Amino acid sequence: MRAPRLTPGLLLSALLPALVSGCMGAMPVPLNGLNHQLEQAGGHRNPALGERWLAVIEQRGGREQVQLIDLQQQRPVPLPGLNRADALPISVSVDARGERLALVRQLEGRSEVVLYRRSLQSLQPIAMGPGAIATAVGLRADGRQLAVQVSRDGLWQIDLVALP
Amino acid sequence: MLSTAATLSLAGCNGDSVDLGLFNRRQAPPAALGSTQQRRDPALSGDGRLLASIVESNGRSRVLLQEQPSGRLLPLRHLRGHLPHRSPALSWNGRYLAVLLQQGHQTMAAIEDRLTGRLLRLPPPPGARVEQLSLAPDGQTLALQLVQGGQQRVQLFDLSTLLEPDRAAGLRSSNALP
Repeated sequence: MRAPRLTPGLLLSALLPALVSGCMGAMPVPLNGLNHQLEQAGGHRNPALGERWLAVIEQRGGREQVQLIDLQQQRPVPLPGLNRADALPISVSVDARGERLALVRQLEGRSEVVLYRRSLQSLQPIAMGPGAIATAVGLRADGRQLAVQVSRDGLWQIDLVALP
Repeated sequence: MLSTAATLSLAGCNGDSVDLGLFNRRQAPPAALGSTQQRRDPALSGDGRLLASIVESNGRSRVLLQEQPSGRLLPLRHLRGHLPHRSPALSWNGRYLAVLLQQGHQTMAAIEDRLTGRLLRLPPPPGARVEQLSLAPDGQTLALQLVQGGQQRVQLFDLSTLLEPDRAAGLRSSNALP
């Protein structure tokens, strides 16, 4: 990995905890190498952490796609078969081991929920029932259950899906 | 009301979807008996015992912590005020509950340690607005989605000097939690 170049923003975020800690107690330490890499790669949203994994939606060149970053190796890993040029990712979540990713995406004007298993490179749709519009997912850290935010007839609800 | 629906999903035919899946789906238990409140931003603890979500009531958004599958509400010591709340996250055993809350005119991340009762407040970097958070299952890393200079970006923070790890079963340090 390349050593991060010190920009004024990076310098400020590195020094801020030390400057503030004197009057507010302990502060979290920014992970500057990774933060710099993310900043250089373009815009990102919808972060989801596993134990050594970060799933994000990356915005680059007018396109958005899901990315999974190995925080120890400090680099993205391939996700063959997950991203589609004609689909817009809405929300992503990852389990602790970085094996399973859950994704809400918009495809042909409809929202769909899919489960991706990285070791199998398989993609499995999860049907949410008629009239349900899914907008957010939260995967349990052990990957065995998925919480989905869905709208039905204008009412926001939470569905829990057991995953074999 | 709990409803169960078994759904057989047939994979697509674009070559990358090959599985048949059988999923059991149910609605999360309501926040109150007979309640039809708006609920969003679900987050499960790693052991599946707890569900955090945001409930809208009287125009206010408040984080709610429930035991699974009973739906029993669990008390939160520090997170009754500073509304609106959003974007909750739970650690493995639910020791840590992270959420975005309002403090004055500023939205900031806060983490309640349910074992010690301590609240950790994490103001965003200067000039940035925080929109979403994620807490690593062991509570050792925090990710914030920020808007700064009109651009959305994600920043990561190491919490290992501030929080004890909340590890998966076998290594858990929070057996005394309600």
